[in-house]
Amino acid sequence: MEVLSDPKLLKSVRGVVRGFAESHALSDEKAMEVVLAVDEACTNAMRHAYGSNPGRKLWLSLRSTEDGIEIVLRDDGTPASSERVKQKEVVAPDLETLKPGGLGVQILYEVFDEVDFVPGPGSGNCITMRLRRPDGA
Amino acid sequence: MVVIAAAGEVDLSSSPQLREAILKSVPNAGGTLAVDLSGVSYMDSSGVATLVEGLKSIGAKKAAFCLLAPSGSVLKVLQLSRLDSVFDIRDAL
Repeated sequence: MEVLSDPKLLKSVRGVVRGFAESHALSDEKAMEVVLAVDEACTNAMRHAYGSNPGRKLWLSLRSTEDGIEIVLRDDGTPASSERVKQKEVVAPDLETLKPGGLGVQILYEVFDEVDFVPGPGSGNCITMRLRRPDGA
Repeated sequence: MVVIAAAGEVDLSSSPQLREAILKSVPNAGGTLAVDLSGVSYMDSSGVATLVEGLKSIGAKKAAFCLLAPSGSVLKVLQLSRLDSVFDIRDAL
């Protein structure tokens, strides 16, 4: 699906992802996490790849795989730095070190079994998020 | 004490309103600023970042900041962010 980079459309995206997650027999809790994580990926693209310009496009694909689900989000904006998208050790911060930003990417790593960030060759980003079914079937 | 009641879904499109409400209330909060989250059905990390900003702003004034009655989905995003232990979370005042 193609989505404009307008934050007002995030609610609709969440509805689509929720339906997809529920149709793949994820638990209510896991479905909620998947919805949140895809929201975070879209939010990241809107804010950082497109600099909060609401008129750009995102491409989101949701599909079943042999052992679970795969969700791919692409944009054609500014490629993310490897520092910003790398998995970091998540520890509970204290008030002194607490920062308001940077939470969304880490949520992706918490929710999915595999997360691959691939910056485009010229511009753009592609995030592939994979979740295996708990039974491994 | 000042209590702010938030409602609905807090995401990138709505978190600026929550941010404005919280930051406007900081100077008048007295000893405590409480954010009632009982009416919030969904929150993403932009909402969490807003709460972090509120916590840090009120902390600079040596006052307390607490979250009231967050739903399961709001607790989930706080847990995934490892911030559930940073906030003072209460069932009620």
